[in-house]
Amino acid sequence: MKPRGDAERQLAGPERSSAGMGLACAGVSFSYAEGGERLPALRDVSFALEAGGSLALVGASGAGKTTLLQVIRGLDEADGGAVLLDGASSGDSRYEALRREVGLVFQIPELQLFAATAFDDAAFGPRQLAWPEGAVAAAVDAALEVVGLPPAAFGGRHPYSLSGGEQRRLALAGVLAMRPRLLLLDEPFVSLDPGTRRDLVAILQRLKGDGVTLVLATHDVDLAWALCDEVLLLAEGRVAAVGAWDFGAAGAPLLAANRLREPFLVELWRRLGRDPATAPRDFAAAAEALA
Amino acid sequence: MTAPPAHPAASPADPAAAPAFPAARLLDVSGLHYRYPGAPADALAGLDLQAAEGEFVAVVGANGSGKSTLARLLGGLQKPTAARRALACGHDLLTEEGRLVARRDVGVLFQNPENQLVAECVEEDVAFGLENLSWPAPEIRRRVDEMLSRFGLVSLRRREPHLLSGGQKQRTALAGVLAIPRRALVLDEPTAMLDPAGRREVLAAVDGLRAEGLAIVFITQEMDEVVGADRVIALERGTEVYAGPPQGLFDDVQLVRRLRLGLPASGELALALAARGRRLASLPLTLDDLLDELGGPR
Repeated sequence: MKPRGDAERQLAGPERSSAGMGLACAGVSFSYAEGGERLPALRDVSFALEAGGSLALVGASGAGKTTLLQVIRGLDEADGGAVLLDGASSGDSRYEALRREVGLVFQIPELQLFAATAFDDAAFGPRQLAWPEGAVAAAVDAALEVVGLPPAAFGGRHPYSLSGGEQRRLALAGVLAMRPRLLLLDEPFVSLDPGTRRDLVAILQRLKGDGVTLVLATHDVDLAWALCDEVLLLAEGRVAAVGAWDFGAAGAPLLAANRLREPFLVELWRRLGRDPATAPRDFAAAAEALA
Repeated sequence: MTAPPAHPAASPADPAAAPAFPAARLLDVSGLHYRYPGAPADALAGLDLQAAEGEFVAVVGANGSGKSTLARLLGGLQKPTAARRALACGHDLLTEEGRLVARRDVGVLFQNPENQLVAECVEEDVAFGLENLSWPAPEIRRRVDEMLSRFGLVSLRRREPHLLSGGQKQRTALAGVLAIPRRALVLDEPTAMLDPAGRREVLAAVDGLRAEGLAIVFITQEMDEVVGADRVIALERGTEVYAGPPQGLFDDVQLVRRLRLGLPASGELALALAARGRRLASLPLTLDDLLDELGGPR
């Protein structure tokens, strides 16, 4: 495919900085139309996440997690309030370019695989951005490598010849190929076997280490606890809590009231009579403390 | 069409399938093979599985190990390529007639509820199967109400399925499958998209069905959900590599890792402790067991 579009955009694409993007929502509201009615899905959602931060988006089914990710990605436009990417909102001249640096991995993203080869599937996004083909190839190869699908072995495979876990990785590679500085993930662990989940956690840890800003919508509180430094609890489209994890007198009941539970290691710490605020994030650290 | 049976296990369509002894084998397959057209290898290669009335059999295995294929075969939705024996509630899954009748007795809930929701709104979706079976309208209404309330869907009954959250869709699909009285239920990762409370609700509902005498085959990637099973079957590339009590599977950590499975969180922590020199007397599979082993408060 011949690159088209303005040179600035081509340059902005593959050459951009890899540091994370700051994200803020200021009074974001959104509602779906159903018949003649409006179904409010997000109500006055406000929070800020620093560049390189990691935020778990939790809440009961139907609380608005997916909607919030779609509004942040710009697939749905907020009815009110603003999404700020590195401080820029939709009126700002920088906003459109920043929006292209936001990657969203959909729920069960492998359902959207469609190209004839894994390489072409992962290349779809960068090609849409009209990157030069050499830059596309470099970005796709790197992304396939990151997700554990070495391009030499997997690039030419038909997506449907891959296992379910491999398809999930390929879908993630398609988003990573665009080198997002803000990565939004919608229930990325659903339907993965435990081994593939462990691999995905390691991939996300690495991206986090590289400074990519992460927003992870999940009902898996254990993996949210393992991966994310901060948490945002949505309840019927409103922010019920946001910031550092808090499992004090207010925290645990709030989670339960929202159809969630404490992470396993937090519950263990509490039941061992230790301070839940000091609960470790992974089994190795927990074993270290208990051995 | 006859009136609906009063109880799932009360009036089997085929008299030959009536329970002859207390724990009738409702699902009974042996040497089950399936190969997708054009595929180089079997998706299922000689599988044995029995599930009796009231029995809960968990099925685990990596993505692509054949679990979902098994679900479709047990539900009579796909024809086995070969089998020594393939009976579902007494119906022969090797014949087209047997598969057709089996589909009424064996409910199957799939991984992705999107593929199972067909109607304009939640309550119509729950009623869909009953309408196909030509139940009388008042019976349908009563049964649908019962299902909506059992799965917490009453307030969503007029909602269009595409406006539901993932978890709400899964509960709607489950309510639709169970609206038809079943004798056996095959669930393919039914809790994957649910929040923790939704997960508990579905597991409680499945426990209730088990107590009512349904045979349950429960496919899952959640190792916590395997712990309470009567038996667990582990698949690797379409072949059964373990069949027995859950503890036996989890005790074989090498096998668990090879199969890309895991242990319940308590077990994983016990392994991490062992790696640091603190060995527990036995492998805990629940938090209570772990606290006992650690000598902490319960």
